[in-house]
Amino acid sequence: MMTSPNAATRILTVDDSATMRSLLRHALQSQGFEVAQAEDGVAALDWLASNDCDVIITDINMPRMDGFGLIERVRAGGPHVHRPILVLSTEFSDEKKARARSAGATGWIVKPFDAEKLAAAVRRVTH
Amino acid sequence: MLYQPIDAVATAPRQPVRLTVMQGQARVSGDPRVELTTVLGSCIACCLFDPTSNVGGMNHFLLAEPTNGRGVDEHYGAYLMEVLINEMLAYGASRMALRAHLYGGANMHSGMTRIGSANAAFAVDFLEQERIPLVRSSLGGVLARRADFRPAHGQARFRFVDETFAPQPAPVPAASRGDVELF
Repeated sequence: MMTSPNAATRILTVDDSATMRSLLRHALQSQGFEVAQAEDGVAALDWLASNDCDVIITDINMPRMDGFGLIERVRAGGPHVHRPILVLSTEFSDEKKARARSAGATGWIVKPFDAEKLAAAVRRVTH
Repeated sequence: MLYQPIDAVATAPRQPVRLTVMQGQARVSGDPRVELTTVLGSCIACCLFDPTSNVGGMNHFLLAEPTNGRGVDEHYGAYLMEVLINEMLAYGASRMALRAHLYGGANMHSGMTRIGSANAAFAVDFLEQERIPLVRSSLGGVLARRADFRPAHGQARFRFVDETFAPQPAPVPAASRGDVELF
């Protein structure tokens, strides 16, 4: 039986839009990834407190804690401090990208996302 | 330009400002002089309004047609809805206070894919999933519509128009879709 090369990779996606979470789950699972989801930065940190993942994909504009706050908190220390973090956002200004990079983001992906490009980016930052 | 801020519109005080929302755009304003307008065939215009901040906005989108037996591609619709919501929030709107109107989604040409119905179904499902109340809609049928929305008041109106006024559906721009930049 063939096993997907992505099967061992667990991704935490963070987005406040239920529609976007559904699209992300379907796209990533169809590429063979294991997917966990949170609706904002606070929920993501709660999940990370007792779980692990190989890469985090986060939106920027979210209630309670936005993507910048999440990146800063993860990079501040703890077991996930070196995990790759990809931003997935409708935003694309150089200012926002520079802020994400300064906070410790690994990369930036512009919505609407393409499932194959997203999967390729995940493989690049996890291998 | 996808999103066009309209604070800086040069006009005389109290003179109405009528702005067209083209396919692929989202426009937001809290200016009581502004009226957003668009003409729709199979496309959808979603008008959002926050009565607590008197901020409103309109987008205009068309989902990609099904290919290779797949369903419609919802990514572009989800993206343009998110752009509209984010700009509303940037203008001071509250996510929990948003109310929606939907217009468009006509199937104007028999024999073609019922893309208008697919657009309308997506928009209704999106609002339901995001828990944004739909307060008024006119969707489907076979006639084009003109929709006008006063964003600072949350007032919308529509009328059916001859299909020659409706823009031809244009391909969804995909040039920058999913661009990846690793730092």
